[in-house]
Amino acid sequence: MDNELIQFEKDDKHCVLFVQGDVDLSNSSQLRKTILSALKTSPEVAVHLSQVSYIDSSGIAALVEGLQYANSHDKRFYLKNLSPHVQSIIELARLDQVFTIET
Amino acid sequence: MKHKVVQKVENLGQLTVQYLERLGFAMRLFWDSFYWLIVGRKYKQRVRFAQIVKHIKMDGVDALPIVLALALVVGMMLAIQLIYALQAFGAQSQVLLAIAKSVTREFSPLITGIIVAGRSGAAIAARIGSQVVSQEIDALKVMGVVPVRYLVLPPLLALMISMPMLIIGADIVAIFGGALFSVGKLDMSITAYMVESFNVLVVGDIIQGLIKSVVFGVIIVLVGATTGFYVTGGAEGVGRATTTAVVVSISFIVLADMIASYFLTQ
Amino acid sequence: MNAKQQTQAVIEVNNLETYYGQRKILDGMDFQVDQGEIRVIMGGSGSGKSTLLWYILGLYKPDGGTIKVLGQDINQISFNDHLKLKQNIGVAFQSGALFSSMSVGDNVAFPLREFTDLDENTIRIITRMKLEVVNLGGFHKLMPSQLSGGMIKRAALARAIVMDPRLLIFDEPSAGLDPVVASEIDDLILSLRDTTGVSVVVVTHELDSAFKIADRITVLDQGKNLLTASVEEVKQSKNKRIMDLLQRRSRHDKLDPEDYLRRLTQENYTLS
Repeated sequence: MDNELIQFEKDDKHCVLFVQGDVDLSNSSQLRKTILSALKTSPEVAVHLSQVSYIDSSGIAALVEGLQYANSHDKRFYLKNLSPHVQSIIELARLDQVFTIET
Repeated sequence: MKHKVVQKVENLGQLTVQYLERLGFAMRLFWDSFYWLIVGRKYKQRVRFAQIVKHIKMDGVDALPIVLALALVVGMMLAIQLIYALQAFGAQSQVLLAIAKSVTREFSPLITGIIVAGRSGAAIAARIGSQVVSQEIDALKVMGVVPVRYLVLPPLLALMISMPMLIIGADIVAIFGGALFSVGKLDMSITAYMVESFNVLVVGDIIQGLIKSVVFGVIIVLVGATTGFYVTGGAEGVGRATTTAVVVSISFIVLADMIASYFLTQ
Repeated sequence: MNAKQQTQAVIEVNNLETYYGQRKILDGMDFQVDQGEIRVIMGGSGSGKSTLLWYILGLYKPDGGTIKVLGQDINQISFNDHLKLKQNIGVAFQSGALFSSMSVGDNVAFPLREFTDLDENTIRIITRMKLEVVNLGGFHKLMPSQLSGGMIKRAALARAIVMDPRLLIFDEPSAGLDPVVASEIDDLILSLRDTTGVSVVVVTHELDSAFKIADRITVLDQGKNLLTASVEEVKQSKNKRIMDLLQRRSRHDKLDPEDYLRRLTQENYTLS
């Protein structure tokens, strides 16, 4: 059931997380743990968000924590393919100027 | 003429209804507090341990110096009066017993109750009253926080825990105060006086004081909270409520003391 | 949780009746707000607009009629279900109603600490993020007493949206603010709705603000829903009450001289 929210693709240099569905209070801690553990093992982590239909503040906070960890441990953390909903939520808090976002 | 009499009776009736309503409200607060203490966790209405500790410090520990100081004075005062009175019968050796019993059963709970009513009762009424005025209570309600659980239960538990502690301290210090004045007349050392005092006390004496103190603690919080929740009319209303809370809770404490003394001294 | 209930009404008030003592305040009120819309409630003082809010928020029990919020009849559901329902509703009071004993940051974090199991690090990030959204970034350590009127409103808004509510209720967002600050708050309400899809109910008497943000306007009069219509329709309404409200014309319609005299002179006069 864990892989319903997040799927992995991993080689020795980087790790890609594919997130899908709704991210809310019930599963944001899972996203947070996955991101942090990915950052512990890989120097580069990308999070794909194109399949995310809803993300709440705790989900965004998980992404911020990932970035915080990456920056303080000299790793690379970036977001890819934001869904329109994610895009607008991130822009609302002006986090688009903080995250590295690739399309 | 007739109208005025009717009006007076009507006012009296309304007043009675108002006071009964508040009494009911206070009872409800007490019941609700324990209801939420028990079921709170299940409905995400947790009682925070840190909040209770904060109140124990504020309402209990911080009151300790003044309670102990007054207990000392009361102990000395009792010694003066009792030695004078007992001398008439040549029974001043009984002063030790009289002080020990009256302090533990009566004076230390009463003094402590009055001091705590003045400190914490007023503070609770002022805090809740100003939160009513500034709509903070409404804000809690619309968020889905039960105000009783957040505002009444922590001080209630804190006083039920800290009142007995204060009483124990007050007992010891008041007896010590009595000793300071009595040892000269009785030709005893202070240590011997203290030891002898605790020997003449039975468990029932101490328990009576402790039971009373818990009841007083409950009265102080319920009266303070009830007057606070009934505040109307802005900052001035908060001031009025604070005074009312102190006067009413001291009155109830004295009344409860009398009733408790009657039933516990059989 | 969000997409499925798109078309559902978030508020359905039917035939609501309420009394204040002997006085009837709401008299057969009907009121409905759809998912994702911004609804402005207007009306003169005493028209019942604040009263309507209090009843929708469940602060009082109605004397008649039904109130459904987010699909649930708030007077039928259990007390505990109502508590949970309230976590989906954000409320910003006219006075702000910030907890004066807590810093701005603790005020905003309060609902998260009460209702979620998030850890303190996550709570801090969410709290600061919400303060950024309302343009109060970096102000988390200030106490409410140190804030200006506009900052209080914005802090209250941050607290109202911290749980990502489905319904946001805002009482007089621009009352007592200068026009520049007021229009900032209007913009904030609009962008919140556009990004999160939250339904918004705003009570206001500021016409500029109402016309700017409203999808539809509801005009209340004497405890009744006089008109619910788009901004254009309200502007062009020929109803006298509404024209009065829009033009701020004081009521120079004919008054009842006897009643007026009674109001001025009678010792025990009460509004009937």
